[in-house]
Amino acid sequence: MNDTTKQSGVWTAVKELPGNVWSSIFRNPLPSSDLERASTSFTNFFLHIHPVKVHKNTLRPIYTMGLGLMSFFLFLILVVTGVLLMFYYVPATTQAYDRMLDLRGSVAFGIFLRNMHRWSAHGMVALVFLHMCRVFFTGAYKRPREFNWVLGVLMLLVTLFLSFTGYLLPWDQLAFWAITVGTSIAGYAPLVGQQIKFLLLGDTTVGQEALLRFYVLHVAVLPVTLVLLIAVHFWRIRKDGGLSRPEESGGAALTMQSAPAPNVAVSVKAVPVAKKHLYGLQGFVRGPFTKIGNVPDNSVFSWPNLLIAELFVFVMTVAIILCVSLMFNAPLEEPVNVMHPPNPAKAPWYFLGLQEMVSYSAFWGGVGIPGLFVVLLLGVPYFDRNPKGVGRWFARERLLANTIFLTLVLINVIFIVIGTFFRGPNWSFVSPW
Amino acid sequence: MTELEERGIARRRLLTWFSGFGLFGSAILSAFSNFVFIKPRATYGPPARFAIGKPDEFPPGTRISLDVRRVCVVREGSKVAAISTTCTHLGCIVGVSDTGFACPCHGSRFDQDGNVTGGPAPKPLPWFKVSLKPNGDLEVDKGIEIPPGTYYNV
Repeated sequence: MNDTTKQSGVWTAVKELPGNVWSSIFRNPLPSSDLERASTSFTNFFLHIHPVKVHKNTLRPIYTMGLGLMSFFLFLILVVTGVLLMFYYVPATTQAYDRMLDLRGSVAFGIFLRNMHRWSAHGMVALVFLHMCRVFFTGAYKRPREFNWVLGVLMLLVTLFLSFTGYLLPWDQLAFWAITVGTSIAGYAPLVGQQIKFLLLGDTTVGQEALLRFYVLHVAVLPVTLVLLIAVHFWRIRKDGGLSRPEESGGAALTMQSAPAPNVAVSVKAVPVAKKHLYGLQGFVRGPFTKIGNVPDNSVFSWPNLLIAELFVFVMTVAIILCVSLMFNAPLEEPVNVMHPPNPAKAPWYFLGLQEMVSYSAFWGGVGIPGLFVVLLLGVPYFDRNPKGVGRWFARERLLANTIFLTLVLINVIFIVIGTFFRGPNWSFVSPW
Repeated sequence: MTELEERGIARRRLLTWFSGFGLFGSAILSAFSNFVFIKPRATYGPPARFAIGKPDEFPPGTRISLDVRRVCVVREGSKVAAISTTCTHLGCIVGVSDTGFACPCHGSRFDQDGNVTGGPAPKPLPWFKVSLKPNGDLEVDKGIEIPPGTYYNV
């Protein structure tokens, strides 16, 4: 008798093995009730970055335009393609350029991966910048999100530095002269400029040491820094009470509205909450996300609403990068000739505004004005203490701030356009027509 | 009794202070040592001092740009000088032109002595020390800048 139960026990275990393994990995079944929808965010490691519920405003495509998320997905693409490219790249002046040609000629998907890496990098620079514009024009940097804006500015700088260090690695003409110009700009920084230049190059001229240093910065130091900053940035979104949004029309809406949710799948009926504060751990985050008091509940479950939105942005981002990489090859100029700079020697487009300014004055164009600009950006949430106009594009209350910011953005764009299209040999003015 | 307690607290505070100071100091020191580490003591690049050949190879009136060395050797009569061809703006190589030097990167222009005549360059092109080696070769030392207009007599 003992024998048979044992056998049947083993038999049952074998029979239930797939189910048991599955349920040991995925603790939550595909949600079919609100409780299960809520617990997806708790029980899944990869989903627990999401709150259980998000405000409906967060999901309005027109509000965020998914710019931050796109930047993040581009960074993921860059990490994956970058690691793959590392398998074939050698950071040596004698080999780097040949390895670029090998990517074209003898590595399966080599050119495609390089295209993806280059175009994602361009896209990330553009989208990080646009994301910053979005955050500014919606007033999303205001209390309590000041520090997350500061983190964002730092991430913009790291992104630019990442693309700059990546530029040297092919060791072509553009690479060499962009780094020559770039490190000379660093040399104009007051007091420590020459020291910084020497530390960056590891030598007095651009050569093997510089290539090795930029490689280490590009594949290790800067990505790790950016991952850390991204982690804190995302964490703070949660702790600062979710994405910014317009103020709720609080006590006025005493009548129990069941929140209309035309474009989302799951919505929750507003439940009256007693004045006695009944909020859980989430109540400790600043700008309470949990519904307190008699306000209409405008939140929806993250599963599936937020996840579907994120998946959509992800698929679109990957699709666009794949298409662009199929159609356009990443530029590769001639191998380095340290004796003959190309004329004109142009940096990548996002640095051409800087290069245009540098052509007037190396210190002011390369260090003074950009430095001032960064300090102003970092200080934005601490100078602008007006709490009004959060969560709306181009709010009337923020007319002055938005006008100033837009002017600076336009000036930057104009400089980039001039540097790109109106500058010819010897950096003299030419007409593109 | 209370006195003893107070002494205990004072000691604890002092120890806290010391250990905090020690930890913070160690952090600063290790950060600083990283800077010492990444600053190379020896460089692998081209040497600053190099021979350029016999004086006869530069007949009077020549202005020859040695692009690899990034100097322009000038000889007028028996006087020889070496002028840097690294643009003082952002480090491109200036080309020798009829009027002096011109930079292809941002349009800086210099006269024959390296003085700025146009463009964004903030400083004139430096002149380097020239000397004669015992074996009769001219030697340029890019580590030593000399006042512009100072020639070496061969």
